[in-house]
Amino acid sequence: MIRYILKRLLLMIPTILLTSLLIFWAMDLTGGDPVQTILPENATVEQQEALRESMGLNRPFFIRYFDYMLGIVTGDMGTSYVTKLDVFDTFMHRLPMTLALGGTALLISVIISIPLGIWTALNQNTWKDTLGMVLALFGVSMPNFWLGLMLMLLFSLQLHWLPSGGSGGIQYLVLPAMTVGLGLAALITRTTRSAMLDVIRQDYITTAKAKGASHHRVIYTHALRNAMIPIVTAVGMQFSLVMTGSALAETVFSWPGIGLLIVNSISKRDTPMVTGSIILCCILMALINLLTDIIYAYCDPRIKAQYSSKG
Amino acid sequence: MENKMENSHEITSAELKQAKGRSLAQETWRRMLKNKGAVIGMIFMILLIIVALLAEFIYNYDTDIVAQSASSSFSAPSAAHIFGTDQFGRDIFARVLYGARYSLLIGCGSVAFGLLVGLLLGSLAGFYGGFIDNLVMRANDILYAIPNILIAVVIVSLLGTTPLSLLLALSISAASSFARIARAAVMQIRGQEYIESAYAMGLPTWKVILRHIIPNCLSPIIVQVTLAIGSNIIAASSLSFLGVGVAPPMPEWGAMLSDSRQYIRSAPWMCIFPGLAIVVTVLALNLMGDGLRDALDPKLKK
Amino acid sequence: MSDNILEIKDLVVHYETDDGCVNAVNGLSFSIGRKKTLGLVGETGAGKTTTALSILNLVPDPPGKIKSGSILLDGRDVLQMTDKELEEMRGNDVAMIFQDPMTALNPVMTVGDQIAESIELHQHVSSKEAFEKAKEMLKMVGIAESRAYDYPHQFSGGMRQRVVIAIALTCKPKLLLSDEPTTALDVTIQAQVLELMKELIRSQQMSMLLITHDLGVVAETCDDVAVMYAGKIVEIGTADEVFNHTLHPYTEGLFNSLPNLRERGEELIPIKGLMPDPMNLPEGCAFAPRCPYATEACEKTQPELTLMGGTHCVACLAYRDAQFSLRRNHNG
Repeated sequence: MIRYILKRLLLMIPTILLTSLLIFWAMDLTGGDPVQTILPENATVEQQEALRESMGLNRPFFIRYFDYMLGIVTGDMGTSYVTKLDVFDTFMHRLPMTLALGGTALLISVIISIPLGIWTALNQNTWKDTLGMVLALFGVSMPNFWLGLMLMLLFSLQLHWLPSGGSGGIQYLVLPAMTVGLGLAALITRTTRSAMLDVIRQDYITTAKAKGASHHRVIYTHALRNAMIPIVTAVGMQFSLVMTGSALAETVFSWPGIGLLIVNSISKRDTPMVTGSIILCCILMALINLLTDIIYAYCDPRIKAQYSSKG
Repeated sequence: MENKMENSHEITSAELKQAKGRSLAQETWRRMLKNKGAVIGMIFMILLIIVALLAEFIYNYDTDIVAQSASSSFSAPSAAHIFGTDQFGRDIFARVLYGARYSLLIGCGSVAFGLLVGLLLGSLAGFYGGFIDNLVMRANDILYAIPNILIAVVIVSLLGTTPLSLLLALSISAASSFARIARAAVMQIRGQEYIESAYAMGLPTWKVILRHIIPNCLSPIIVQVTLAIGSNIIAASSLSFLGVGVAPPMPEWGAMLSDSRQYIRSAPWMCIFPGLAIVVTVLALNLMGDGLRDALDPKLKK
Repeated sequence: MSDNILEIKDLVVHYETDDGCVNAVNGLSFSIGRKKTLGLVGETGAGKTTTALSILNLVPDPPGKIKSGSILLDGRDVLQMTDKELEEMRGNDVAMIFQDPMTALNPVMTVGDQIAESIELHQHVSSKEAFEKAKEMLKMVGIAESRAYDYPHQFSGGMRQRVVIAIALTCKPKLLLSDEPTTALDVTIQAQVLELMKELIRSQQMSMLLITHDLGVVAETCDDVAVMYAGKIVEIGTADEVFNHTLHPYTEGLFNSLPNLRERGEELIPIKGLMPDPMNLPEGCAFAPRCPYATEACEKTQPELTLMGGTHCVACLAYRDAQFSLRRNHNG
């Protein structure tokens, strides 16, 4: 198993390299001239040239890229044009906020969706099923930034129960987490329902019943444990949606995470921040994908065996 | 002569259909019609398409959509303005209807483009395997590693905030998912015995692909198309909302919401209706997609 | 205390689907004596599995519904039991072995845990003790104890079936239901598994209902035989009675369609026609359309099981004529 993880980490490297090359190249093309931003309006051409030379901006593309990649290893990805702060530090500083948001959203969604999914599956084709499915369908059809705005309208502006933005305490986390979490819940509910429907038709469920297992035991110990496999897979595949959703929620509620960071940096044309953040995001996504695969392996002993033997 | 010891003759659903004289397409259509949700979805989409097409004729872009009128700004919904007006006095109802054009164009366009590219690459990868397969799959993995939004950011930075660059950006992720589906479907069918017998009969490769492989891949792809249009409409509006997609004053639904955010306290109707339009449209598409999925494989429903 | 561990009377089970009502079991009656093995023979679709599931009251509902009848297990009617009573009975008094060993085991639980579960459900022991007992059961079915920690996918088909048997026998049930236990296995493994089952049943003094379409297996293992057609028993008796003094035309047809090693040149004689559509059963005898002896009366009246001597019963109107006998019996 350890060997499998190491192998995956190693395989990540060429993917990250290629990805960052693409991003670096694209941002380089659009980047805009930093010199204009840094120097005052009345700077002379010589002063601009001098600055460019000292910043190493006249070197050929691949040298600059190579230099940049080396920087990633040491944790130096340049400084922001706007805030003059270190890109890497800023990103790492904001990362926990996004992780808190994403984690809470995931928690909320799982608490809602798995019981709901099981309930609709067990009551298939009754009004309970229809109700659950209609709710889930709405949730999946809603753009989550709009959901955020509506939640803000109701809970913050009309009812004054919760703040409408910013950070500082748990009450600030509630609405953004609900925004991301409800959309995710809708998705997981549908997946849970279809996974459960699939599983309860299997022969081993009849075997469990024939042993005299109670209804509760059959559903949780036998059915759900098997249903978790496709559920984890589906959630894993949608994880980039969680990241996007977090970015949107952060924008709506001014939650200071990396999503808001990227959005603001784009509008301010802060190229090094955008480039660095996107590359770091990709690395983060790759690590989360790996984590999902490992969780998946623990759910399904057949996969675990595959990973352990192949190494 | 049947030996009745082993199994009684189980009639497959395909044979039943043939017996009843209906093709698979007709059967699917019949089942779709039984699903009320899917029918509602289809009717809505047809209406929306009609509205989008006619909007160009009903409303004049310059006078109705972008012209400003300070006197009627910030009116709440009323008989004159069903959805109210925005900060520039523009009629929101007109803008929402007109905005359907962008959503449909970007949504359907990106899926169509992605479908073409994705199907081609995916089928080639699945059919030939080996080097081509590896190449396509590696590229796919890289695209997979980058979230949708970031790809869009990069492309829009390169090409500007126009509907076209948004369409291109969303095509890439659509192509990625279609390539995956096509590859899986082709690989599964390629191994089936009836393909071997087609070869044994002497059919050339291209005929095997056209006549046997492609028709059997269609079901998962058709379902995915409907659902992908819906999710791309949401993605497009999300990106416009963030300022990385279509920019104001174009009345794209996401852009409208980005614009109206600051007025949420004083003029909440500005934030409600464009979003509602997105929800209803994607809902209709999802109903159709679910209906298609159930109609194409009724076993899944039971 | 009656002599019979199981008594089924007039069982009727329907499956109500969107396409129509499937009459799976239509007035089924038979009994199994203590420590006896009854072979239930019939083709796929005759309703055999439904019968076995009914004994455990496990017919999937929806769409299945037990419409009427009684199933007395050791004197108690299964169909009247509460959920709790059913849970206590299943696995403990009656156990079932399923047809396909590849899908009968939970893929995410170890084999040892699955056997131990049966013990924990019915006996008051700690989970550690239960696991130890599970290992002993594995040994009893011929699998190394150390394999209790393995998962089902690590076993072959034949070994998985042994695990299924171990699970079934763990709580020493009085009645074992075996639904085509060897059909999914290779021929060489079939013999092994059957031997194992015979040995265990004998040593544990259990009764068994063996469902199969294989007459050879029946001949080897069963004391009594019941032949099922279109949801009803058409002939029942001891193995000797049914095999050597066959009464029902369907049973005759089954025997005739078996290839005879001694007369290799002969043509195979299949039973002409198809089994009736369970959604659309004929008014009279269900076998009449295919029966070489059928008369007009057969198409209108459903025959009842009548005792013909010893313990041998048959449901056939032809025997109203005391002189009637099958062609098979003419040739001796």
